[in-house]
Amino acid sequence: MNQLFEFLLRQRNLLLFILLQVISLWSVFTYNNYQHTLYFNTTNSWAASILSTRQEVATYHQLREINGELAAENQRLHQQIFKLQSQVQQKADLPVFFSKASLDRYKPIACKVIDQSTRNSQNYLTIEKGYLDGIKPGMSVISSTGVVGKVISCTENLALIVSVLHTSNTVSAKIKSSGELGYIKWPGYQTEVAELMDVSKYKKVVKGDTIVTSDYNAVYPPNIPIGIVAKVGLQDDGTFHDIKVMLLTHFSTLRYVYVIENKFAGQQDKLDQAKPKID
Amino acid sequence: MSANFQYKWWIAVVLSIVVQLLFLRDLALFYYGFCFIYLWALIKAPIETPPVYLILGGFVLGWLLDTFYNTHGMHAFSTVLVAWLRPTFFKILTPANGYDERSSISLEEMKWMWFFPYLGLMLFTHHIVLFLLEASEGSLFGLSLLKAFLSTFLGMAVFTLLELFNKEK
Repeated sequence: MNQLFEFLLRQRNLLLFILLQVISLWSVFTYNNYQHTLYFNTTNSWAASILSTRQEVATYHQLREINGELAAENQRLHQQIFKLQSQVQQKADLPVFFSKASLDRYKPIACKVIDQSTRNSQNYLTIEKGYLDGIKPGMSVISSTGVVGKVISCTENLALIVSVLHTSNTVSAKIKSSGELGYIKWPGYQTEVAELMDVSKYKKVVKGDTIVTSDYNAVYPPNIPIGIVAKVGLQDDGTFHDIKVMLLTHFSTLRYVYVIENKFAGQQDKLDQAKPKID
Repeated sequence: MSANFQYKWWIAVVLSIVVQLLFLRDLALFYYGFCFIYLWALIKAPIETPPVYLILGGFVLGWLLDTFYNTHGMHAFSTVLVAWLRPTFFKILTPANGYDERSSISLEEMKWMWFFPYLGLMLFTHHIVLFLLEASEGSLFGLSLLKAFLSTFLGMAVFTLLELFNKEK
């Protein structure tokens, strides 16, 4: 027994080292499974208050640009109102496959971004609204110009968003003009550019095409803009197009986002659970 | 070690962390060069610091960074590794006449031939582990390597500048 203690005492540095490394690695590899219990991220209240102050100072110096963006958005929204007003008459007789409930299926919640990263291979944002404001993990997040990401964890007043600029956060997408399906994946570098995968080389893709979210998307509402095709090539395996997409969301200057509440999300989950499991 | 020195050292540690968290978060050189100035505490800790304190301190420091960077454990892993390897680096780099009891880690005292390899080893070990963990995908290996090299060079430049400004007259 004594020898054991002596051994432990002699090797205490090594043991401490191994213990701490195991804790760190455990945190790295289980993070995604334990997202609701692990508070050591920017939704931690004191970390958030520091970052929020920092962001306020930064925002102050960007008021001019933010004003411009807001004005542009207002203009677009007004246009939309006019368009919708003209459709109000037709609303009375909706096509049979279109239910009344689906008209107000999505509800946006405006949120302020208090922290974000864009330079890592896996990027996150923190917003200043949490489940007290009706935000839940799994909701989609868009900006005034395009998609931003997905809520992965919430506290009372804050939420953590996994950005589209994350190598494992893919978005089901389609080409607006032709309806061709694929998915958007960020390759891990260059904040402005993502890739559109899984589009067969026999389909026509032109530089300048708009990429939007697809209709078969469990997270995002359909037809939210993602980006513009910037370059079309052929992938190494020769079966798919290699498409580079300029993202429409300017992540580096993002200050306000909209979290989209999907009123059907609960029902969708229920249906998914009812699916027979085939393994 | 005088009380005056300790007092100064702690101020510098806090300052390096604050600068890291508030100013260097979004800064990147040519997209891929990052500056991790918070390593100042680990790099400049006195030579005779017991390894237990170094390792524990490294863990706390890394975990704090993880909290702010949303990297959940990656910084902690790298800093603990560097803290653990530091005595080994000292052994590799022993100057001809050994370490003096009172010698501190500074450019002035240790000279270029010792200080640069030391800085390079510390920074590169930390960066390569951090970026590989962060990439989490084999396909990004080249990119992580590039990031680690650029960041090491940037870090060496910054730390050397700090040394030059810090010269005791």
